[in-house]
Amino acid sequence: MLSIKSDPRIYELYQRVLHHAKTFGRHFPEIRFFILDGLEFASLLEKNVYPASPLNIWEGKRMVNKKRRIETGAESSLYYEVVQTGNPAYAYLNKFNTPMTQASVMAHVVGHCEFSELNILKDSSRDRSEYVMFLVRKVDLSRNQMGEYHYLNYWNACESAVDLIAPNSQFNLERSLDTETLMSYKVEETSENKVKTTKSLMPFSSTLSFMITSKTKTDVFKEEVNKKRRQENLSRVGYTLKAPCQDVFNFLRNYAPTSKGEKAIMDYLYTTHYPQDFVLRTQIMNEGWAMYWEKKIMLELFKEKSVKGIIEYAKIFSGVCYPRPYFYRNPYHLGYNLWNHIEQLYKDGKVTLEYQEEKDIEKKEYWKKETGINPIKAMEHLIETITDYEFLRRFLSHDLIHELHLNRIDKRYAEYLRIPEKNIVDADKNWVWLDPVLVKTDMLNFFTHFGRPRIFVIDTNFMDGGLLLYHRDDNRELRKDWIKPTLQNINIIWKNSVHIISKGMLYSFSGGKYSETNIRPVSFEEITERMQKNQKPFRVE
Amino acid sequence: MTEDKINSNESEGAFNEFIQDTIEDLLNDIINRGGLDRFGDKGTDIIIEMDDIVPPTFIYDDGSGFGPGRGKKPGREGEKIRFNLPFKSFMELLAEKLNLPNLTKEGKGKIKQISYTFKTFGPTGVILDKKRTFKRALKTSVWTGLYNPDAAKYTVLIRRRDKRFKLPKREEKPKYHAVVFYMGDISYSTFGERLELEKRIVNFIHHWIDFNYGPENVEHRFFVHDVEAYEVNPEDFYNINNAGGTIAASVFDLINKIAFNEYVVPATNFYAFYFGDGELFGNDAQDILKIIDTGLRPICNRIGVVEVKPSTESHLKRALNDRFYNDSIIRVCDIQNRDQTVNVIKTLFGESNAEHKK
Repeated sequence: MLSIKSDPRIYELYQRVLHHAKTFGRHFPEIRFFILDGLEFASLLEKNVYPASPLNIWEGKRMVNKKRRIETGAESSLYYEVVQTGNPAYAYLNKFNTPMTQASVMAHVVGHCEFSELNILKDSSRDRSEYVMFLVRKVDLSRNQMGEYHYLNYWNACESAVDLIAPNSQFNLERSLDTETLMSYKVEETSENKVKTTKSLMPFSSTLSFMITSKTKTDVFKEEVNKKRRQENLSRVGYTLKAPCQDVFNFLRNYAPTSKGEKAIMDYLYTTHYPQDFVLRTQIMNEGWAMYWEKKIMLELFKEKSVKGIIEYAKIFSGVCYPRPYFYRNPYHLGYNLWNHIEQLYKDGKVTLEYQEEKDIEKKEYWKKETGINPIKAMEHLIETITDYEFLRRFLSHDLIHELHLNRIDKRYAEYLRIPEKNIVDADKNWVWLDPVLVKTDMLNFFTHFGRPRIFVIDTNFMDGGLLLYHRDDNRELRKDWIKPTLQNINIIWKNSVHIISKGMLYSFSGGKYSETNIRPVSFEEITERMQKNQKPFRVE
Repeated sequence: MTEDKINSNESEGAFNEFIQDTIEDLLNDIINRGGLDRFGDKGTDIIIEMDDIVPPTFIYDDGSGFGPGRGKKPGREGEKIRFNLPFKSFMELLAEKLNLPNLTKEGKGKIKQISYTFKTFGPTGVILDKKRTFKRALKTSVWTGLYNPDAAKYTVLIRRRDKRFKLPKREEKPKYHAVVFYMGDISYSTFGERLELEKRIVNFIHHWIDFNYGPENVEHRFFVHDVEAYEVNPEDFYNINNAGGTIAASVFDLINKIAFNEYVVPATNFYAFYFGDGELFGNDAQDILKIIDTGLRPICNRIGVVEVKPSTESHLKRALNDRFYNDSIIRVCDIQNRDQTVNVIKTLFGESNAEHKK
């Protein structure tokens, strides 16, 4: 691993890239570039883009395999860019790239770093890499305390729950849990707000409000009982679940009984994995933004002759932005073209109420009105306010789907997939075009589940201290023979019985025994409602 | 200044150790499902390819090629992992796990392998040990004052009594020689799964006997038969096919003759393995029985008859089981699928035939 300063040519390019980025008005944190060789790159990727990681067999396995694949030519060791965003950001360049590629990578990284700073999910954090390095050290110390066997066993158990990280879900830990500190904070906040609202917004009339919102005696009694129950629960375990919690790993990290060493492992795994949720939710916008600025900066570099090889760059760029069918999700292609489309919309003044309300189709087609809105500022505002779901819902029109070939698939592949005729809107001898309406719906649906089962914690005192998980039904079944080992691993973390409800079955791992019980199917809505009423979400009849 | 390197050496080491630790648990799987047909060269590391191991998670049952769960490390059939294991360690592990005894060599290896070592030294001989001679000469020269750097004297005189010669010492080690006969029936359809099963067993036998005797001391010979028997190259053993009649006794007769005519019988360890589908006609089984009883059994350490995916119970198997029930030399078994590989190996090379029978 070499500092970028070790190569004067690359360092000069780095300075030019930063200069142009600043000239374009980009705001990004300090970016520290390093140069790596092929194997270092491979290793860095296996460490979730941090330069160090605690010992674990899974990383070892992947690296052993990767090395063999690189040796046998089954995999290339050429990776173009890897960046760990944050403040400062750490980006890595491949030693074997040409100066032109290095420059394009640096320009691309600038886009990512800015996006990380601006986005609504607040991805960027101060000293993230440094904090991870601290956690690595902590885990290494814990390994000595825990002993090799227990350490590896616990790590393996945690790996089973790593997919259950959802910090940006609407059912994340913050929204699903009441804790002692959170409760007291909320009470204070509410009372303050109440005073403010009553004073400024409406005249106060206690008689009137009492008459409108009068409660029966039973309601008051029930409310008191619920309050008491919640308080009891809080004082016993320090938290109470008020809604299903999808951020299962984070819940376990905070509330499973752990030793210091175990907690360090969970902290490390959570910290290194939670940004993946951000990536999933913003990948199209993020990669598109990076490509957009990469191209702008690169054109400046070619103009001033800092780098050569514009044709080579054009080849690489078109390769990266090659249109692929929507289900292959090429975020570079879609994101880049969407940002360009949006820029044009703002330039033409089409993102206005006036344009939306215009009835004349011909007028709309040739619409061009100066609005005084700076398109770039408007695009930045979009990053600050929305994620991929809204980005696609709002700007990916059916015409654009067709134009960008998102609905175009190989004819033979379409036959293989047995796509019904009614879903095909156009065809030639090589390709078929699917109905853009269906394509858009499918693309948006992806953001509800991200292709993964949705698992929630719904009870932490099920059958005397057991953890009850719930698989939200989306007409797909869980792989049955994986349920037992997964429950077994979560049992190692929770240190008590673990259960999961999925499609009318209750799977349990308790006291070293695994069991499956038929139950009456219960919907997610029922569960949520019961939890809101402070009732048991599920009882075995 | 040393350059900082990003690497995963520690984790790779931990993975390799994990494989070493769990290899015993995985051994049955490696033998039954692993790529045993891709053994490395004789004595080198073997590359084991097996189902990937991944941490179990809640995933969809969408037929994406994920394999069954195995405790904390379910496998994934879609992907494979490969790792190296020293040939010797693998075989030792295998012997221990499957409880395979070392192959009998006593009484059969009469030839001695003679070698010479030069560990002793004397004042007379042919090969001069220059280093020792010079050391002695230097000591004497220092003692006599011929070599004294303080007085600028640098003479080292080598006298006859300072000379030391290397003396050869004769070492005798028993030299074992083994010959393995593989016999195959080319009249049955050896392709697809049958061929694969046969290859797996032949490969295992090949390496197991190499491991026991040392690869340089083992001769592997391949024979096929339809109505006649003839010797073939190892590659042709799997490739020749001929639809037609079959007389298996011809191949037993051929190797019997070869054993007596080409080898010093008391000094050679013979092994013979027959592979077929068990479909024999007429008196074939009886003829084989006679050849084995009178010719091969007294000279062979082990005779194995493996029926690969037989359709019905064969005459040969029944006749051999009746005549040689629980025999220490004759082993008879059949294999229907890969999962039975371990059982076949146990039957062929295990302590007792009876314990592996159902």
